[in-house]
Amino acid sequence: MTPELDIEPGSSHAYHTGDWRTRQPVYRNKWPPCSQTCPASEDIQAWLALATEQQWQAAWRKLTERNPFPATMGRICYHPCESACNRKHLDSAVNIHAMERYLGDRAITRGWKHKAVCDTPQTQRVAIVGAGPAGLSCAFQLARQGYPVTIFDAQAAPGGTLYSAIPDYRLPKSVLAKEINAILALGIELRLNSRVGKEISESDLRDQFDAVFLAIGTQRPRQYLTKESSKHSVMSGLEFLHRLNRGEQIALLSKRKSKQVAVVGGGNTAIDVARCVRRLGAEVTVICAQDSHGNHHRELGTEMPASRQEVIEAETEGVQLIYRAGVCRLVRSGEHLSGIEVAHVDQVYDRHGNFNPVLFDGTEEFVPAGLAIFAIGQEADWQGLERLSQATESEGVWLGGDAVSKSKLAATAVGSGYQAAMSIMARLKGESFVFDDHKKAQITFRQMQLHYYPKQPRHEGETNEQRLDGFNEVVTGLADDDAAHEARRCLSCGVCFRCDNCWHFCPDAAVIKTTADYEIDYNYCKGCGICAQECPCGHIDMERLND
Amino acid sequence: MKTNAMDKRDAFRHNVLTSGHRACSGCGEAMAARMVSDLIGPDAIYINATGCLQVFTTHNQQSAWQAPWIHSVFANAAAVASGVEAALRAKGKGTPVVVQAGDGGTFDIGLQCLSGMIERGHDVLFVCYDNEAYMNTGVQRSSSTPHAVRTTTSPPGRLSQGKHHLKKDVISIIAAHHMPYAATATIAYFPDLKAKVEKAMRIKGPRFLQILSPCPLGWAHDSALSVTVSRLAVETGLFPLVELEHGELTGVMRLAEQKPVEEYLRPQGRFKHLFGSKTGAVELRHLQALADARIRHYDLLDADTQWDTERAMQSARHGRGGYASSMPTSEAVKNDA
Repeated sequence: MTPELDIEPGSSHAYHTGDWRTRQPVYRNKWPPCSQTCPASEDIQAWLALATEQQWQAAWRKLTERNPFPATMGRICYHPCESACNRKHLDSAVNIHAMERYLGDRAITRGWKHKAVCDTPQTQRVAIVGAGPAGLSCAFQLARQGYPVTIFDAQAAPGGTLYSAIPDYRLPKSVLAKEINAILALGIELRLNSRVGKEISESDLRDQFDAVFLAIGTQRPRQYLTKESSKHSVMSGLEFLHRLNRGEQIALLSKRKSKQVAVVGGGNTAIDVARCVRRLGAEVTVICAQDSHGNHHRELGTEMPASRQEVIEAETEGVQLIYRAGVCRLVRSGEHLSGIEVAHVDQVYDRHGNFNPVLFDGTEEFVPAGLAIFAIGQEADWQGLERLSQATESEGVWLGGDAVSKSKLAATAVGSGYQAAMSIMARLKGESFVFDDHKKAQITFRQMQLHYYPKQPRHEGETNEQRLDGFNEVVTGLADDDAAHEARRCLSCGVCFRCDNCWHFCPDAAVIKTTADYEIDYNYCKGCGICAQECPCGHIDMERLND
Repeated sequence: MKTNAMDKRDAFRHNVLTSGHRACSGCGEAMAARMVSDLIGPDAIYINATGCLQVFTTHNQQSAWQAPWIHSVFANAAAVASGVEAALRAKGKGTPVVVQAGDGGTFDIGLQCLSGMIERGHDVLFVCYDNEAYMNTGVQRSSSTPHAVRTTTSPPGRLSQGKHHLKKDVISIIAAHHMPYAATATIAYFPDLKAKVEKAMRIKGPRFLQILSPCPLGWAHDSALSVTVSRLAVETGLFPLVELEHGELTGVMRLAEQKPVEEYLRPQGRFKHLFGSKTGAVELRHLQALADARIRHYDLLDADTQWDTERAMQSARHGRGGYASSMPTSEAVKNDA
């Protein structure tokens, strides 16, 4: 044994500076605003991070955990995620919907297949009424967990509203069909042309299945209330889109009728209809009771419900919009419709919040039109499901999708299907179910250090210039290179992307880097807070210590 | 402590200056010294002048250095280094020799030995951790203390607005020795600091680095703001990042955007007396004029250079921000299917 000297140097390790600390850093994942606002609760940051590493298939798998329709939603969703994106405070929001579409299209072209999460087959059977986004999303989640699922749909093709009411220029039928087929390939039984109450009875559903999910959507158009009985030259927006999507010739351009069409309504259906009418070669005027975007005054919440982007595109295509106008009457000469008399709308909603416009006398104007299409909302048609729709979850019946949710986004329906599936599985296993358990603390751009991110332009798909020639898609998907670059624009709000800043900047070498992540050695951390201050994405919190 | 066991906690870094040292919370000098010594590595001889760094790293016979380290007295660090280097040369060894000193040990007390070391051409890197006052003894003014700063020996009051005199332009004095390499750096711009240390280590002969190291105690700012404050010193033009080779200016960090000096002064208690008084307002204008003069002198807004203050923040890692060197994705996981 070597003799010990009085002056033999020791290591500073013996002295734990950690007990100087009055506050301490903690690594904590936040829930970024994009995911916070996503109606389908997609973990957008997570799949963009995988896309950043060009792990395309892993990114697609992460995305489809919540939403099995990326190619579809990437095209048609009005992407509230992008309105919430923190990057807009630096330059412009990440093009999330284009990335989603890119992953979905890549999956389709390469034939990626969904994988079951659980290999052991379950015995309890689940019936789903409605093969729309909610029903299919629910079926997808259940089938992945090994449940035998049967979907009943009254129509001849699956897809619900996605199939019947979305025009081809926004969503080609083949894209939707391929995504649906990928879902059905998990072993889901689909019975088309089967309306409950007609081809199958309510009691059969109850007897043969352990759980029933009703996602019937809103297939019945709200009718324009009028004393006049003639339905001539009047159509509902939904009927118009259904017929168009079935490939029927629509008679709006027959010789005797004028090439003027009026669309009544301020929602996305109205805009869809108007853009379709333009593609059929007619002039179109949208009569909207609400105010235009960014121009609502007098009372709050009177902005038109349609997506701003859709309205901009519609105007580019030559759609005329009249705001704050309500229908007084249809002007006819005999059966022939010559136009619509409209007047200024003073109050859009009554004090209960219901749509109940007050028209001012003496402000009447005439809008010439040979065909009037009313796209003024739609509702669920519970015919044949009277008893089941009154049942509760404890009786084994779940309700979801557009039929019951206030927001009518397709992504909301997908999210609703996911929640129903989780709730159904929990109940069948006898567990309690709490949704939102994945939600974490939020993060705003103020908690982030945006100067660590370079400004980068947003990548867009190309716009089809000859768009009015037919029903071809208006925007193309991202090119491969652009997709890789666009994914890197994600700021990774609140989620560590291993930038090393905390590790570089710790004055006390108390941040330890490992192959997987970073650890704080609390024996030495003095709690200065530099790591939290310099973390670009706000992943680190400073916590006050009590004693 | 019987054995001086090496710290091997971190697989990615040696931690030449390891944990357990007694620097104040948020110390910019401790951060800078760890950055520099990790870039040079443990196979070097570190010579320390008296100062904060020497005191807080070797308290109570407990050394935070995981490399050979010597301290003699305040003034002679450069002279000790000269001797060490001459001895290594005589033995035919090429071990790097690094001197570390504060601004007191460089600008004032150590200047004569430093000048001699450079004049004799010793192969030594001299690093000055500039925290702009004698912090170790309780914040007395040094010749590095900028104009109008409050220290215990330049207190503001009725007749004074802090230090009367200007900060000594030491980098010009050093560069005037016609030496191979002299540069300024700061902790906020780690990629820039790294490039400068690595460049210095490739050059033979005397080399000099002046690293601005904020001191939360003496500058009286929040300990979390050390990096932010040093970044603002550069962005306002008060501390230009420059490289001089054989007396000639060979590189500067261009300012992507010049920030008003107030942004730098506001978070620091040592400039607090300047705000809210007429005489203080004069000094604020003076400091702004000093920053403007430095920007003109080094052409900080238009120089044609590799870095600017914006891009230097955002190197590597797919340009997603942060200072991590980019981690290559393995080809196996890339482009699956």
